[in-house]
Amino acid sequence: MSEIHLTINGQEVVAQSGQTVLEAAKAAGIDIPVLCHHPALSNWGACRMCVVEVEGMRTVQTACTLPAAEGMKISTHTPKTTSLRKFVLELLFSERNHYCMYCQMSGNCELQDQAYAHGLDHWTYPRPFEKLNVDASRKYFIMDHNRCILCSRCIRACAEVAANHTLDLRNRGAKTMVIADLDVPFGESSCVECGTCLQVCPTGALVDARSAYGGREKDVTHTPTTCMQCSIGCELDVVTRYSRLLRVDGVWGSEPNDGLLCVDGRFKPLYEERKRVTRPLLRKDGELVEVSWGEALAAVADKLKGGSCQGLAACATTNEALAGFAHLMNRVGGKGGRLEPQAPPLGYGVPGRVTDVLSADFIIVAGAQPLEYQRVIGYFIHRAADKGIPVAVITDTENALSERASMTVAAAQAGVVAQAAAAAEKVVLVYSIGIKPEVIAALKPLGDKVHFLALDPARNGKGAEAAGLQPLTPVKADVAYVLLGEQAPEETLQLKAGFKVVQAAYVSPLTEQADVVLPTPVWSERQGHVTTLDGAVKPLQVVLPAPAGVRDETEVFEQLLGLLG
Amino acid sequence: MGKIKVATQWLEACAGCHMSFLDIDERIVELFRRIEMTSSPITDLKHPPEEGVEVGILTGGIGNEDEKHEALEMRERAKVLIAMGDCAVTGGICTMRNFFPTEEVLRRGYIETESTVDGEIPVHEDLAPLTDKVSGVDEVVPVDIYLPGCPPTADAIWYVLTELLEGRMPKLEGKVLKYGMDGG
Repeated sequence: MSEIHLTINGQEVVAQSGQTVLEAAKAAGIDIPVLCHHPALSNWGACRMCVVEVEGMRTVQTACTLPAAEGMKISTHTPKTTSLRKFVLELLFSERNHYCMYCQMSGNCELQDQAYAHGLDHWTYPRPFEKLNVDASRKYFIMDHNRCILCSRCIRACAEVAANHTLDLRNRGAKTMVIADLDVPFGESSCVECGTCLQVCPTGALVDARSAYGGREKDVTHTPTTCMQCSIGCELDVVTRYSRLLRVDGVWGSEPNDGLLCVDGRFKPLYEERKRVTRPLLRKDGELVEVSWGEALAAVADKLKGGSCQGLAACATTNEALAGFAHLMNRVGGKGGRLEPQAPPLGYGVPGRVTDVLSADFIIVAGAQPLEYQRVIGYFIHRAADKGIPVAVITDTENALSERASMTVAAAQAGVVAQAAAAAEKVVLVYSIGIKPEVIAALKPLGDKVHFLALDPARNGKGAEAAGLQPLTPVKADVAYVLLGEQAPEETLQLKAGFKVVQAAYVSPLTEQADVVLPTPVWSERQGHVTTLDGAVKPLQVVLPAPAGVRDETEVFEQLLGLLG
Repeated sequence: MGKIKVATQWLEACAGCHMSFLDIDERIVELFRRIEMTSSPITDLKHPPEEGVEVGILTGGIGNEDEKHEALEMRERAKVLIAMGDCAVTGGICTMRNFFPTEEVLRRGYIETESTVDGEIPVHEDLAPLTDKVSGVDEVVPVDIYLPGCPPTADAIWYVLTELLEGRMPKLEGKVLKYGMDGG
């Protein structure tokens, strides 16, 4: 990479080769207005807000697509560029419905910001009043075409970040519309509702159904935390106002997800409908009744003192809680383990990072369904496939990744994949509990070229591993202590103990059969850490306070240890 | 020096812009030392005097023949015409009916509304016929100053009037340039 010297507004600027004029200006602290440009997306040059004058060039140029070149002399704010930008804004405002007074994005809108910045107190052109569709066929967010400026950020986000290619443009000129697939309702399209388009939309065209009108940027609080819905550990920006969860955004530049989230992390937790446990419950005369923490814990401690105990943890809680749980089980001489199965060790290869998927030159998916359970990794694999990286799926059942994989083979044919990958330098093997021993054996010749990602089916399986909790099935014991957190228990889970303690956030068939129920916080109320599937320890922050009566598990374990003496 | 004459009128409007005007609070005393309010919807005299005013203020969009007439009258009689509020500037929320033919709008409003029994579309010589579409003021008469906002803040209104009183053309930018509600 070599240096390029150019002049922007009379200021000497040093840029790197490959940078655009916009990037060079930004690095030098010179602001050029943009609308269709987004740093996480490819450059498009659609809106013409970033026009600049270049000495020696006949016409103005879009800074976002113009490569910086040696000796260039750029002027970013001239009477000509300013009047062109105002002209662009007037055209944008007059084309569809850009009346701010009843838009939920007012105060939070890049189009509005630019209009203010350019002193746009009215626009000259009459509005055509085309009756455009509002597509509310998706559950979580709405597309209001009337507010769309056709910047194509959503289209690029869908194609480049989520690698889903659902969105595109239809027709040309004034008839241009954003469409899903072959112009079907968004809710019937191939959309996976990751919400990346919603996050990049500069106007009120993509409307989050939950947070709309819930608070402007100046009214809300942002709390960074880590997603607990699967084992990837994506970074979240949780938006709240007062005690209301408004919205979850991805964080650009964050490891590993870099702004990308999935429906499980962005939307579903905000629509939780299960009933919370908010008070300790103790079974008295056959009925679960609310009791004080003191009474509940005394009852638990009493039973733990008296007999054999099996502890089962769903790994949907913090490292601290899992360690505390393991410690408590050790203390009472019980057997502690995890409820969820665990992916087996390979015996070869090196542990990979989630982001390795994006730099691999061969990807193997075996016994795993990331598009279902660790979706962001699935989208990363799609991104790699888009770049032409071979993706081999080894499976004996249906796998959604097969559609865009370069090969799909049965477990018995795993050797074919090993041969195909033999020449590759960086093989990423994404696998989970479905991987068969013969597949592990067949891929062994790839050896340490393999960067493996063991997709833990539990949310914080690595945290459980660090706490020494191995998979266990329920056995007969005097006491069963289940740490469930917010995990929905498997319907088949039957406890065989005489006395059942369930520490859970929500009412479930398991809490119904318990003798003591101890309420736990949920993801948004937790402080502590989780360990991601690639081994990173990431912090959890309290977004909202837990309901009164709920206690963090670590605190409960300490109190129980105290009672045990 | 005599007082500067100011007239206001509301067209297809909700009265919110005039409410915001009154929100200049005690500054109205200072203002009235310097201006004479010749007419407005909230005073006894409704029409600007024939001899004219220095400043005319119109709020609301134009959606019927009477509003069109009022706008023409104000334009004729005012040296400087201000379109005040989002409806006067762009037609605003009233333009929602522009997606439908006028007959359909009247039918929906007077006959098909769920709460209406035996409704009929009123016809009377005192009732102005609707224009085909609602528009901002400047599609009917030329406007000199645009003051958007729903409503414009009292501070923005105060800024525009005091600038005019100082003999300057107000330039809408920064805090006084807002669309929709105060603060964005």
